[in-house]
Amino acid sequence: MNPFEHLPPRALTRRQMLRQMGTGLGMLGLTRVLGDAQMLAPDAGNPLAARNPQFRPRAKRIIHIYLNGGPSQVDTFDPKPALAKYAGQVLPTGNLTTERPLGAALPSPFTFRPYGQSGLEISEIFSKTAAHADDLCLIRSMYANTPNHEQSMRLMNCGDERLSRPSYGAWVTYGLGTENENLPGYIAMCPGLPVSDVSNWRSAFLPGIYQGTHINTKQTRPELLLENITNAKLSRTAQRRQLDLLAEFNAEHQRLRGDDPQLEARIQSFELAYRMQLEATDAFDIEKEPAYIREMYGNSVQSRQLLIARRLLERGVRVVQCYHGDVQPWDSHDMIADAHRKLAGEVDQGIAALLTDLKARGLFEDTLVICGGEFGRTPAVEVPAPGTPGNGKGRDHNHWGFTVWMAGGGVKGGYVHGATDEFGFRAVEKPVHVHDLHATMLHLLGFDHEQLTYRYAGRDFRLTDVSGEVVRDILA
Amino acid sequence: MASLRSTSSTRRRFPFRSWSWGVVAVLGMVWGGGTSEAAGKLVGQSWEAAKQHWAYRPIGNPVPPRVQAADRVSTPLDAFLLAPLEAQGKSFAPPADPRTWLRRVSYDLIGLPPTYAEIEAFARNPSAEARAEVVERLLANPRYGERWGRHWLDVARYADTKDLVLLYGRDALRPYAYTYRDYVVRAFNEDLPFDQFVRDQLAADQLEPPVPPWRLAALGFLTLGRLFDQNPHDQIDDQIDTVSRGLLGLTVACARCHDHKYDAITAGDYYGLYGVFASTERPYVLPLIEDPATVPGGPEFETKLAAARKELEDHIDAEFKKWTENLRLRLGDYLVRAATTKPDLTETTQFGLSLTPEDFRPSLMQRTRRYVEQHAQPEDRIFGPWQQLMAAGDEEFAQGKVRLKVLPEQKWNPVVVAALQSAALTNRAAVARTYGDVFRSVYERSQQPAAGSPQGPLSAEERELLTVVTGAEGPLNFPRRDTPNHMSRPDKDRYGGLVLNLDKMAAHATNRPPARAMVVADLPEPYSPRIFLRGSPSRPGPEVPRGFLRVLNDGREQPFQSGSGRRELADAIVAPGNPLTARVFVNRVWMHHFGEPLVSSPADFGVRSDPPTHPQLLDWLAGEFIKSGWSVKHLHRLMVLSSAFGQAGEGLREHSGESGSPGYTHFARRRLDLESMRDSLLAASGRLDATLGGPPVELNTDPLNARRTVYGLVDRQNLPGLYRAFDFAAPDQCAERRPKTTVPQQALFALNSPFVQEQARALAAQAEVAQVTDPKRRVVAVFRRVLGRDPTAQEVASSLRFVDGAAQNEGELTPWEQFAQVVLVSNEAVFLD
Repeated sequence: MNPFEHLPPRALTRRQMLRQMGTGLGMLGLTRVLGDAQMLAPDAGNPLAARNPQFRPRAKRIIHIYLNGGPSQVDTFDPKPALAKYAGQVLPTGNLTTERPLGAALPSPFTFRPYGQSGLEISEIFSKTAAHADDLCLIRSMYANTPNHEQSMRLMNCGDERLSRPSYGAWVTYGLGTENENLPGYIAMCPGLPVSDVSNWRSAFLPGIYQGTHINTKQTRPELLLENITNAKLSRTAQRRQLDLLAEFNAEHQRLRGDDPQLEARIQSFELAYRMQLEATDAFDIEKEPAYIREMYGNSVQSRQLLIARRLLERGVRVVQCYHGDVQPWDSHDMIADAHRKLAGEVDQGIAALLTDLKARGLFEDTLVICGGEFGRTPAVEVPAPGTPGNGKGRDHNHWGFTVWMAGGGVKGGYVHGATDEFGFRAVEKPVHVHDLHATMLHLLGFDHEQLTYRYAGRDFRLTDVSGEVVRDILA
Repeated sequence: MASLRSTSSTRRRFPFRSWSWGVVAVLGMVWGGGTSEAAGKLVGQSWEAAKQHWAYRPIGNPVPPRVQAADRVSTPLDAFLLAPLEAQGKSFAPPADPRTWLRRVSYDLIGLPPTYAEIEAFARNPSAEARAEVVERLLANPRYGERWGRHWLDVARYADTKDLVLLYGRDALRPYAYTYRDYVVRAFNEDLPFDQFVRDQLAADQLEPPVPPWRLAALGFLTLGRLFDQNPHDQIDDQIDTVSRGLLGLTVACARCHDHKYDAITAGDYYGLYGVFASTERPYVLPLIEDPATVPGGPEFETKLAAARKELEDHIDAEFKKWTENLRLRLGDYLVRAATTKPDLTETTQFGLSLTPEDFRPSLMQRTRRYVEQHAQPEDRIFGPWQQLMAAGDEEFAQGKVRLKVLPEQKWNPVVVAALQSAALTNRAAVARTYGDVFRSVYERSQQPAAGSPQGPLSAEERELLTVVTGAEGPLNFPRRDTPNHMSRPDKDRYGGLVLNLDKMAAHATNRPPARAMVVADLPEPYSPRIFLRGSPSRPGPEVPRGFLRVLNDGREQPFQSGSGRRELADAIVAPGNPLTARVFVNRVWMHHFGEPLVSSPADFGVRSDPPTHPQLLDWLAGEFIKSGWSVKHLHRLMVLSSAFGQAGEGLREHSGESGSPGYTHFARRRLDLESMRDSLLAASGRLDATLGGPPVELNTDPLNARRTVYGLVDRQNLPGLYRAFDFAAPDQCAERRPKTTVPQQALFALNSPFVQEQARALAAQAEVAQVTDPKRRVVAVFRRVLGRDPTAQEVASSLRFVDGAAQNEGELTPWEQFAQVVLVSNEAVFLD
């Protein structure tokens, strides 16, 4: 006796459907979200095909300007004049525990002033970005879990500090596919590698095609940015002849084997690859931009990344991350006045240019721009460890409170959400955890973060795990 | 303060019920509370009911059903597949043609295609005997272990590198990881019984009789995982996850924070296993498994390694001595802090704080609090007075009214009583400080020669106090092994550097260092696990024994008795009464031969998984597997000699829309995986390097490397684009199955990669191609080498047209090389019919 004969044939139909997806059981979460009809559409075999989310999205793509290392909120987007009152004295509220010993209050060396109609107060080192104040949505009440870079980078990107979880970019690409298959759906640019390396854009248990493609922008020649994107040994004409012969062989092979979508998909992938060679190198080639545009963005590495990012976004890439630099450039444990001024100088013009450029091209409305680090910095000075050559003019990591700002697709402009305490240490008003930020990002892209799931190891996983609330106040 | 007082009067009881989930919505089952001292008591649902789930039931002894097409029953499994087909009026497809069958079975068993000559020879005599001979020949080929070892490495989340921060290039290498990979390859080649294979991987260090050295390398299974920023709880979780999903098809890791929401796995089960791995350490001195004298440069390398190890050991010794002494003098500080503060973040969180010499050592501060909590009882000879005095109110202290009331029934230590009676007890800190001074003075006297001390030798009462300071149970006692946890930042950095250096020396050595096994060892004292409430190590809950999953033991606890319990765990996993291990493994082997597993989630046989498509077949195979002495090769024979495996693939018939469905009415076509694809290119080009084993090689950046793909460096931190594009199993976690995708990156590799171009060049240069002058026969030679067949007239014509039309100066590849590349990357070359 088969003890399972009473079971309905449901399992089999689902199996068939999953086979069409070609990526296995985990995709079940997606099929539940999107409904079977869409999954069984003609191009359903392609895991990167563009898909609609669950509900009408406010944004179709994301660019994340990543100030990796931890920018100081009290020196950038969260003015705290009270620090000046206590300069050189211990804060009356005491110091919270961070990674290193802290001393007295350290007032910001920079001046803040209101910008735009909204009057958002922003630091002088971001004056060009501040010219767009009426488009910015400052979340001044962000918080995370741990004052260490590695863990916080992964939390910000993957929603977990240590375990192998997919990055939000992988989740978004899994949910939405990409609008241009001649380019990777998720691209992470960095001159070198940020802390936590490739785990920042990993796909973990999601299929590997959803992993972010890392572009090392220390390399400047566009044809060297993507693996195997050019043929070093053959001209395009010669390659076309190869493809024609291949198509002939493949057609004969398929004629004897019937209408097998696997065979057809591989044939198509060669034509796609052929087109991709041109389009991808073109997308990364900022020399194709007019001089005035290149001048608008500026000359820094981050400026170049932001300009490439705009070219990618307008070509349909779903998620672009621009890391400021190798390892953790914003990690100003000492001499923060010089360091932060220099760092902001490397990105301020590019951000302003990007916002202007996105608007000019009609992309601003449905592009979600995110800018921030993995955490902020302490309002109190970091006490240099005995025997180290520190000057005592910097700040330690601060996960208790920091600022991330958004602009564009679906968020309020000229708006401040939440607040840190009087000194900028801890998020106290309407605190927003990283999980909440992720829930909000997914919401703006048209997903209920609790329903974008993937079945793995006996569980339906999601980006926000068991947490996360959409920050409705900031929705436009 | 209040909380201190409230807990000091009675020993704290753990709230047994408060952590359980209470309600499990989906199934209405409640496992909650099944971790208490009442072992096996399951609230809301009996273990008996839980065991009704198909996967937990004993393996049946099904008889192959009677079928009409008895001639299609080549091995008994065919009957199990045919019976349901016949009920639907269907049957197998006709047998595949011999060439197709040979190519199929070769790829399946050794991951490489047969040669043209082998195909022709077989096609002349495709008898059943010839098939059996082919299978024996393939199973005896060392290439078999490389193929099937790689399947197991997916389960074992094998990688060659460590995932530590700021460790790049060869610095990140785990220099001896390859010995595990080589063990796996050899175990498959030797058909090591699967139950032995499992025992080796969990407890090779504890088996009787002792295993030969090469099998010690099996223990790498436990330690090859991620390091999770050196968080031990996550490392243990990874071990539990790999063992439970990989071997048992159970998602035990779901029970880390609470009882499993669906399956009959409690948090107690999880922490029972946690205790096994927490009682197991990774020594940084790994045993040699080959004689250094037989390795070029081996003895010299070992001498240098020994010196580096000594430097490390000396550093640990010095720090151990320093901190043992330092802490004995500072017991008073710890007592004052315990008496006057609540645990703060530094004590309860897991992230690695940099410690200065003055900082309290977080784990010892916790230990002191626990010690005081446990000992502050009225009858305790030393901390009885503490209990009484700390119970006084703040006002009493402020008013200076706190005095020790010596009660005649208490036999308190007179030294403590005297000190407390003569001290001004103005606050709780003063009480603790008085204790500290007593302990310090006793300790300091114990360190002086008795003769030189004016007070003479320690009295019995003083010796009693001394045990608090220096005894193994004392609050600040710690074993040498824990020394690194207490080091201050620069000393700890030096320690970390010295440990890493051991690996780096091996990773950067010019000659291969003598092989060592990545073993584990039991701690001298096994760790007694407690359930961590909500998974948080800072919230220890009730104690549980180290033991096996209760659902596999009729709901009874199965506490392990010997050391960490690893050997007992291994025994329980392969015990005859455990139905999961055989079913899970048989299902994986089936998946690799038939494209789809019988249970669609090979690493999850829990209640939320789909039941097997052919439950009786699964049981028959599992039973057959065990009866054969857990012979994996026996399973292969049953499967690849079956008619189901040997039937034709999908042909011209109308597409049914259920391509590859587990209906078994035809063989499901599939694309070669990464390893077979790359290895086939090397086989066709004649460049395949047949060297077995050894340290990983750099395949991704070296197009000339001709080793089999299984030997390529698996860099967990930075998996090459090639691996990702071709659906390689992510090595972060035990992989259930590989995804199957078709993306343009694969085509870009085929068209543009220096590796494929190199193979095209080498293929065109092969004597049997290059030395043939007749272009037509040259086309034939390329087809034979790559596809194992002769081209059709049409294919010859197209090929010649291509070669003739290709301009010589179009690039660096000659027309023949360009042509060879096209054949190498054609659909026929990369799909298996």
